[in-house]
Amino acid sequence: MFAYYFQLGLRSLRRNPILTALMVMAIGFGVGASMITYSVFRATSNNPIPQKSGQLYAVQIANWKTDDLDKGEPPSALTYTDAMAFMQAHKAKRQTALYPIAPSVIPADASRLPIEENSYAWYGDAFAMFDIPFLYGGAWTQAQDDAHAAVVVIGRKLNDKLFNGANSVGKTIDLDGHDYRITGVIDEWNPQPLFFDPVNTGGFGDPIGLFIPFTRAVDLQMSTAGNNNCNDTPGPGWSNWIHSECIWIEYWAELPTTADADAYKRWLTGYAAEQQRAGRFKWAPNVRLRNVTDWLDFNKVVPPESKISLLVSLGFLLICLVNTIGLLLAKFMRRAPEIGVRRALGASRREIYVQFLVEAGTVGLTGGVLGLLLTGVGVLGVGWVFDEQIARLATLDASLVLLTLIAAVLATLLAAFYPTWRAAQVQPAWQLKSN
Amino acid sequence: MLKMTHLSKVYRTEVVETYALRDFNIDVKEGEFVAVTGPSGSGKTTFLTIAGLLETFTGGHYHLDGIEVSQLNDNARSKIRNEKIGFIFQAFNLIPDLNVYDNVEVPLRYRGMKAAERKQRIMDALERVGLASRAKHYPAELSGGQQQRVAIARALAGSPRLLLADEPTGNLDTQMARGVMELLEEIHREGATIVMVTHDPELAARAQRNVHIIDGQVVDLSEEPRFHAHNARVADA
Amino acid sequence: MQIKPILAALKRHKAGTVLIALQIALTLAIVCNALIIIRQRTEHLSRPTGMIETDLLTVANRWVGVDEKATPSLGKTDLEALRGMPGVVDATYANSYPLRGGGWSTSVNITPEKKKEMAHTTLYFSDDHALATMGLKLVGGRNFRPDEIDWVDPKAFDTTPVVIVSKALADKLYPDGSALGKVLYHSGATKPSTIIGIVERLQVPWTGTWAGNFAENAILIPRLLTGNFGSYLVRTQPGQLERLTKAAPALLFKTNRMRVIPDERGVRTFAQVREQAYKSDRGMAVLMGVVCAVLLAITAAGIVGLTSFWVGQRRKQIGVRRALGATRHDILSYFLTENLLIGAGGVIVGAVLAIGMNLWLVSHFEMERLSLLYVAAGVVALLLLGQGAVLAPAMKASRVPPVEATRSV
Repeated sequence: MFAYYFQLGLRSLRRNPILTALMVMAIGFGVGASMITYSVFRATSNNPIPQKSGQLYAVQIANWKTDDLDKGEPPSALTYTDAMAFMQAHKAKRQTALYPIAPSVIPADASRLPIEENSYAWYGDAFAMFDIPFLYGGAWTQAQDDAHAAVVVIGRKLNDKLFNGANSVGKTIDLDGHDYRITGVIDEWNPQPLFFDPVNTGGFGDPIGLFIPFTRAVDLQMSTAGNNNCNDTPGPGWSNWIHSECIWIEYWAELPTTADADAYKRWLTGYAAEQQRAGRFKWAPNVRLRNVTDWLDFNKVVPPESKISLLVSLGFLLICLVNTIGLLLAKFMRRAPEIGVRRALGASRREIYVQFLVEAGTVGLTGGVLGLLLTGVGVLGVGWVFDEQIARLATLDASLVLLTLIAAVLATLLAAFYPTWRAAQVQPAWQLKSN
Repeated sequence: MLKMTHLSKVYRTEVVETYALRDFNIDVKEGEFVAVTGPSGSGKTTFLTIAGLLETFTGGHYHLDGIEVSQLNDNARSKIRNEKIGFIFQAFNLIPDLNVYDNVEVPLRYRGMKAAERKQRIMDALERVGLASRAKHYPAELSGGQQQRVAIARALAGSPRLLLADEPTGNLDTQMARGVMELLEEIHREGATIVMVTHDPELAARAQRNVHIIDGQVVDLSEEPRFHAHNARVADA
Repeated sequence: MQIKPILAALKRHKAGTVLIALQIALTLAIVCNALIIIRQRTEHLSRPTGMIETDLLTVANRWVGVDEKATPSLGKTDLEALRGMPGVVDATYANSYPLRGGGWSTSVNITPEKKKEMAHTTLYFSDDHALATMGLKLVGGRNFRPDEIDWVDPKAFDTTPVVIVSKALADKLYPDGSALGKVLYHSGATKPSTIIGIVERLQVPWTGTWAGNFAENAILIPRLLTGNFGSYLVRTQPGQLERLTKAAPALLFKTNRMRVIPDERGVRTFAQVREQAYKSDRGMAVLMGVVCAVLLAITAAGIVGLTSFWVGQRRKQIGVRRALGATRHDILSYFLTENLLIGAGGVIVGAVLAIGMNLWLVSHFEMERLSLLYVAAGVVALLLLGQGAVLAPAMKASRVPPVEATRSV
């Protein structure tokens, strides 16, 4: 029967090509626009580390008076003082302080220009915390952290550039005139959003290709390549700065269970209370533990353009559906005589439902194909509205293709529900009455 | 075959109740050819729509082929329409989007018949009404008489036990009407039960039995048709 | 005229009426808000930076493997080399420049009290060549003198005795126009800075809405920042820009190869800076424009579709009216009036929806309030659109011959 209805549907669609084209275009445009904006929203609201997003917590503490805070929330970064206190307390399963640095790699070959690489200074724990895959070697050890060792982990791309992709573990590279020994080469690792530091990256950017121990970076007085916020002038020199209330460090703790997280939060509150007693904080403890998804939310990683355009295109789709309801109603009710005859000849209501829903589904599928074409074109044009860093994340993959078609058919069926109900209400007796 | 006892049909609006049929009794035996006559608004058409399960009724009983139909739901009613009843309408009511073949096929489709059997029945039915060669034509390409013959073929294709005809020749000229009538008589001779609503006394005369309806009630069940035909004319005027 | 019978007829076509009205309402709501987004995104596009934007080159520079104490001498060498290039009018070094996207922002006041912030401002750290290189117009006071320029560690920067400010900031601090020679305190500093010069206009590095309320508040500080990262700005002679786009970085590498000039966005003409800074604003505006256009087209198509259906359904009725003496014009105006009534219902609901949606957007995003003027314009546009869309089917209806009345079904 399905094939028969499908045939009838096609025939009926051919019968009013203009009306059909209108509906197909409405569905196509509505679904296309929604899918294009959804592809961006999906990329930006992505959970970059789903297997662990509930166990990794960004740590925040209010080290400034409430007047200096945004809506009473502790700032999104820590002072060196607090970050070091947390590292020394070692209360989590794993933990790391981190900040972006901007060293340059000086190739051994003197004829080559220095290479700039996105880099971070952090602790050896970070590699295991963030599930970073290694191609060769591994993370540096805690002992090396403690020893402020001159070790480095580099990314695959840099390894290709410097060592033609060979296993470079144990070799040394020159960063800003200092030698570092390679302990590991990481494989492709490019979480988007860059959850571990949305504050300095805005959430999106090129993969990070170089890591050195935090302790070493501070020894070398490497300034942050990211934001530094002060509520007071720290005074001249490195030492004044790192002991000031300037904030520039991100801090992550791995807390496998809720109980761990609760315990950590209690400890953190205790730490803040201690600072209050010591006179450093003149306010009650104000601390936060935010897991990955909350952290990305808090830092508003999804750009407002993405949300607004998604909302507008969903509104657009809604209007297209209202439009389709109207057109389907007109189309179906124009065929009231046919429905009456079919009912008189023994079609049950259910069969009328199926016939017209199949017909609507056919419109939806055709609209979906048009929507797919539009989505394909639109995804290429995402770079028009969004940053390249975000635009390249919006892709037309198999799941989006499927979603586009399903959304188109479902939306049309939804729109067809009322017109079909009306069609099924046509009484068989009307055929006789109208005479 | 078709038996209505004390049947009533009331149309209710906010202000008035109108009896379309009241205390309506009729009994059509298997194999009969009955003509139903009566003036405009007498309830003929209402009777036919109820008989054909196109509409429900308000009170009384209706047994069709031994089944009490008042309690049946829409699905069951659809099934009976499809399998036991064939309709012939005054306005033919072919589906303009479908060609002759596809039009005849409609009730068979709802019966869920296999394609081969459908084809056999459709061609037989079209053969029967002399339109096998027009199978690919669309209704708009046929004359009124031909369209009505297609409608009859559609009614016949499902081998119904009961054929309900509503002014089957009302939209046809005399010659075409005669052809259609002859076809109906032939079908009757082959054993089908036919109930035909008409206000044409000549047509009514060709039926085995006449039933006359006035104001929603059967007024006579005489075997003598002409007398009632006369009455009908008076009522019409 | 014939409003009552039309309303009665519409009651019998509830579904269609509601659908058209709903579509008009939703379209109005979305179009109004899309227009606000367009306006918000485009109003800044043409905002002048205060600089002469032609013949201006920017080069991002990062020194490699150098101590911060060495940067002043490296910087001086670079600047001398750049200024000596043929085709170069002047060159300067700065932490940032208008539309760059990143920079230094802080609070400013005219008293040393820390609590109150009179205004927010950006700080540009540069030298006495900044005005000439950027092409800023001095409207009062003087430029920095070479002896006022120095290098400073950004982490230890406090304040300077003299500053040059943009006119917008000067007027904000001293509304009576007496800013020149007066003092200001920025970043909560306790030491005053004297305003020695006022430039007509100088935009901040950011284009975002969040910086909208201080978009033209800028302070030029006569200090160059040590630290390994900054930008060179180069003003070229007319026609020399393109050549210098390659020649300037080449010269810098020749002067000292231990530096990185990023491949992406390292060397940009100011025209490119402007284009990239406003890319997403322009894109968003175009997107919203396209959405509006398609939306209006679809709504119009929907009205044409449903009205055509009604006309088809009422052919006989129209025939009867014609037979009873209605003129073609009567039929035409019947359908136009009918559409106007539906449209009126739609725009009333739509106006409420538009305002409600706007209020929601304002509370969740950095959106502007919807002015009633926009709603009014949208209402008129949609009513006209409806009348235009209904015209074709209404004309068709008016051509139904009176003989239709006599035809059965």
